[in-house]
Amino acid sequence: MMAGRTFGAKLAAGFGLTLALTLIMTATSVLALRYVLVTKDKVIRIASTSLVEAQTLNALMERRIADYRSYLLSGSPEARTNVDRDRANFLQQINRVRAALEDPAAIKLLDAVTAAEATHAKVIDDVMAQRAKLPRTIDVRELNTEGVRQSRETIQNAIVNLVTRLKKVVDDTREESSTRAMWSIILIIGIGALLIAGSAGVAWRLSRDLRREVGAAVGHIQSSSAELEAAAAQQASGGRDQSSAMNEITTTISELLITSRQIAESAQRVSKVAEDTAEAARNGDATIDETRASINAIRAQVDQIVQHMLALGEKSQQIGVVVDLVSELAEQTNILAINATIEASGAGEWGRRFAVVAEEIRKLADRTAGSAKEIRALIEDVRGAVNTTVMATEIGAKAVDTGSRQFDDATSSFRRIAQLVATTSDATREIELSTKQQTTAVEQVSSAASDTARASRETEASAVQTKQTAAQLSTLSGDLLDLVGTGRH
Amino acid sequence: MTTSQDRARAMTTSLDRTAVTTDADVVTRMARLRHEFDHSFAEPVRRHDEEHVELLAIRAGGHPYALRLAQTQGLHPDRPVTPLPGSVPSLLGLAGFAGTVVPVYDLAALLGHPVAGRPRWLVLPLGTPPLGLAFHELDGHVRVAADAIVAEDAAAGRRGCLRGMVGLDGLARPLVDVPATRAVVHALAGHTIEAGHTTEEVAR
Repeated sequence: MMAGRTFGAKLAAGFGLTLALTLIMTATSVLALRYVLVTKDKVIRIASTSLVEAQTLNALMERRIADYRSYLLSGSPEARTNVDRDRANFLQQINRVRAALEDPAAIKLLDAVTAAEATHAKVIDDVMAQRAKLPRTIDVRELNTEGVRQSRETIQNAIVNLVTRLKKVVDDTREESSTRAMWSIILIIGIGALLIAGSAGVAWRLSRDLRREVGAAVGHIQSSSAELEAAAAQQASGGRDQSSAMNEITTTISELLITSRQIAESAQRVSKVAEDTAEAARNGDATIDETRASINAIRAQVDQIVQHMLALGEKSQQIGVVVDLVSELAEQTNILAINATIEASGAGEWGRRFAVVAEEIRKLADRTAGSAKEIRALIEDVRGAVNTTVMATEIGAKAVDTGSRQFDDATSSFRRIAQLVATTSDATREIELSTKQQTTAVEQVSSAASDTARASRETEASAVQTKQTAAQLSTLSGDLLDLVGTGRH
Repeated sequence: MTTSQDRARAMTTSLDRTAVTTDADVVTRMARLRHEFDHSFAEPVRRHDEEHVELLAIRAGGHPYALRLAQTQGLHPDRPVTPLPGSVPSLLGLAGFAGTVVPVYDLAALLGHPVAGRPRWLVLPLGTPPLGLAFHELDGHVRVAADAIVAEDAAAGRRGCLRGMVGLDGLARPLVDVPATRAVVHALAGHTIEAGHTTEEVAR
């Protein structure tokens, strides 16, 4: 039930329980004492009021009887008044006794007293009436007093009975009160025993928990302090290693500083070269424009050549047509000459002369046809050459186009190179600047590394201190274990 | 590109050489032609006529032949021939000459070569009835020395159209004898040859 609570809570709960039991015991004792007190008060009250008042009845009765006898003897009105007063007092006393009574049997006895008193009063009133009729001095024996004695004894017995009853009531009440007081004592003793047992239990439980939990915690502290000691030793050796490493780092950073200064100088040189390159690129741009114009002129020239060559082809075709016509004419002339020769062969001597002319005409026609054939062949050569030239020129034009495109590509590449050179120049300047900043940063890093080396040495010292402290803590926890009583080390 | 440039350069060089060659050649040729032309009118007519034979060099069915010009009465190209229905494969049809309808026979078919294409040329042989012989190509009109012809005796009982042979430009051409051809045609048509028009007479 108490598992998981702190030890302080457990202590508080134990003491709380003990305190609660103590309170219960105190309250019970007070209540028991009060109960006994009330019971005893009741006994005393009954004894002091009822019994005393009842015995007072007896005295009042004796006094009334004395006054009655006095009246009988003297016969004076004064005595008579005393008798009446005595009765009134008696009746008042009865009322007081009735008021004080609680016991029904006693009340019944008081009623019997009342009834006896009434009887007795009637009897003595009769006697006193007889006496009033007689002279002042008389012989009492003259009076008829029969019945007075009996009634007097009756009432006295009734009073005695009442007193006896009241005595008995007082005794009973006293015994009851004593019994209750005894039970109260037993109850208080029981609660006291319970309180002692509970306190002992709480004390045992607290002691056990203290041994168990505090002992375990102290054991943990002891092992933890041993680990802490080992860790501190490791940290101390690590701090030494770190310190030497930081020294190496400092050396390396110094070399890095020298290198970055060299880089800054190199970057400056590269920046100069990049600016020169950009200038050269600007000059190259003008040359590119001139070259482009030349290429465009070449392209136009090539187009013109193609046009001219095509026209030449067309013209040679026309020449071919004319040559075909000449061939046709030559053939027809040839046929005419042949037919003329045939006609001439049948026409005698004149025919033979004409045949000579026809022969010459035929020869001319033959030669014309031959020449036309040669011209045709030449024209075919020319057309072939024109076709080849046109083809070559078109190939050349395409080559020029390709060259132009390639030149465009080269131009764009060149311009891109120029832009890149400009970018490179900017980048180089940035590198220069960055390298300078880097140098500054490296200097700062160097100083930071020195600080870190010092911090490492301090860490080492602190680790040694921690180790000692951990050893002391281990010893202390052993002592605490002895105190708690587990005896573990 | 290099190849095309090389080709263009080669072509230009070739053209230049041709032009140079032609210039020199033309001058020489013109001089020779003028000389021959003038010389032909200076020769005596008899010699001119007697020692030579006029021949037509032709091709029929792809084979070279020669015809004696003296055995013909006309040469015509591209004459329209109207085909005739009939069972004679060598008869091409009818053609009109100076108001006369002339049957036209394919010389190649008559010579035993298969008919290949439409013949362009027509030659009209001497004699009656009028007849047309068609052949495919005309190689030219030549004049050869009479002793260049290897004659063949017509009376040897040889049948057919060919009589003799002539060498022209290194090529031996069989001579188509026109009267013998006419006889073959007449035999095909079922005619008989008239007495006064024998082959020998015409040749003379």
